[in-house]
Amino acid sequence: MDIRFSGVSKIFYPDITALEDVYLEIPKGEFVYLVGPTGSGKTTLLRCITREVAPTRGQITVGSFSLRKISRVDLSIFRRDIGIIFQDFCLLPHLNVFENVAFVLEVLGAPPREVKERTGEILDQVNLWRRRNLYPPQLSGGEQQRVAVARAIVNSPSVLLADEPTGNLDLHTAEEIMQLIMSINALGTTVIMATHNQYLVDAFRQRVIGIRAGRVVRDEKRGRYSLDGEL
Amino acid sequence: MGSFKYALRDGTRLILRHWGLAFLTVITSMAVFYLIGASVLLVLNTRHIVNVLEGELSIQAYLAPNADYDAAARAVASVNHVTRVVIITQDMALERLRQRLPDRADVLTLLGENPLPSSLEVSIDRADSVESVVNALAAIPLINDIVYAGNLAEKLSKFSRFAGQFSLAMLFVAVTASAVVLFNTIRIAVYSKEEEIGIMLMVGATPTFVAMPFVLQGIILGGVGSLGASVFLALSYNGIITRLKDLIPFLPLLDRSTVVFELGVILVGAGATVSLIASLVAVETFTRRAMKPL
Repeated sequence: MDIRFSGVSKIFYPDITALEDVYLEIPKGEFVYLVGPTGSGKTTLLRCITREVAPTRGQITVGSFSLRKISRVDLSIFRRDIGIIFQDFCLLPHLNVFENVAFVLEVLGAPPREVKERTGEILDQVNLWRRRNLYPPQLSGGEQQRVAVARAIVNSPSVLLADEPTGNLDLHTAEEIMQLIMSINALGTTVIMATHNQYLVDAFRQRVIGIRAGRVVRDEKRGRYSLDGEL
Repeated sequence: MGSFKYALRDGTRLILRHWGLAFLTVITSMAVFYLIGASVLLVLNTRHIVNVLEGELSIQAYLAPNADYDAAARAVASVNHVTRVVIITQDMALERLRQRLPDRADVLTLLGENPLPSSLEVSIDRADSVESVVNALAAIPLINDIVYAGNLAEKLSKFSRFAGQFSLAMLFVAVTASAVVLFNTIRIAVYSKEEEIGIMLMVGATPTFVAMPFVLQGIILGGVGSLGASVFLALSYNGIITRLKDLIPFLPLLDRSTVVFELGVILVGAGATVSLIASLVAVETFTRRAMKPL
């Protein structure tokens, strides 16, 4: 799914400008890093794509969906094609690894056999099959994030949004997660990843969009984390 | 099918997770529906008694000497609420008296010429129209005197009307109270799963899918409450009816078992419906807000 931002601004009450006049075009299958200082608007931009945040001005289209006016049912259908990875994992502590991943397919009404098979495949892919009966608090940070990645991709979304997915992880684990996300992107999934991890951005060179004070300040095809020492 | 299984599993989990609250909700809705059922039975019985009394209700209109029977009967029949007029001639009145006093026929011979007046036996349709019919009859010149025993029926009829209105008001209060309790229980369950619902909505679950376990939870709680109320109602009603029959044998009460059964079915249906609406409102309010963008 192509993602297009046309003149998008978001002002939170009373007058906090989170995004200002953002124009973006992200074609299907692309990998994009969003970089910028804390509070620059990266998360707001991601949340605009999931329509948790509605722009004050401008238009966002994702594939055939115009997010300006979308019904609740259409929003549900639209969100089925978006996978989300959060920095703090957002796993359900009372469900085990298998159930946390299977949960997505269950809420989408998949038949039980499909839920079992598909969840098994994904847990195998993220190397968690043997840990499937454990609960989130029993897992390491890296393992929890791999569960979150598995949950985000189990229904094969066209777009994967990752908000600081390696923020709470050590470098080695972060690299593992990064490789996992890259492999998902290689299968054709559009990935937009907000990150502060300079090492990863520079090691896995992809398109870099720099945001500062809600504005897009740079957009490079195969960019680096910082430009002349500036984000 | 998968969705229903999920809703059933999750709905049951919700009840077990908040079992104390679920128990209180069931008890409350049981009390409320018992109250509703009891007041409905009271109204049904009062109406039944009034109907029976009305069937037996008649006014005796005594005619003036030498009055034309047919003219008087026609005049009476034209009065509103009069359903039947029977002419009782002097001879018929004497014969009736003779039948009532079979061992005292000698007394009747002492009367000499038949002193009993001819009369009209007037039946009416409703007990509460006794007063107006009597007033109308009193205005007919051919009628000398009127005797009726409709006071009790009239009072009962008034009580029946009052009971009907009172139980309607109580029904409204009880249903509202039950709906509020169920609404709050479901709302607490919804908030306890706030995070889970948030993730569900983010991965594309429809609001209907999110609502299903909560609605099911509500229907189970309301249904069990009203079912319990129906069982208690049946048991206590049978006990009360048996005791009343012993105490006041001539009191015509509804003792058909189908009445309580039918009422039970209605109560369970009403319980499930109230719960359905209360749960839907509770969860819908939450999902609507959760899906509203910032």
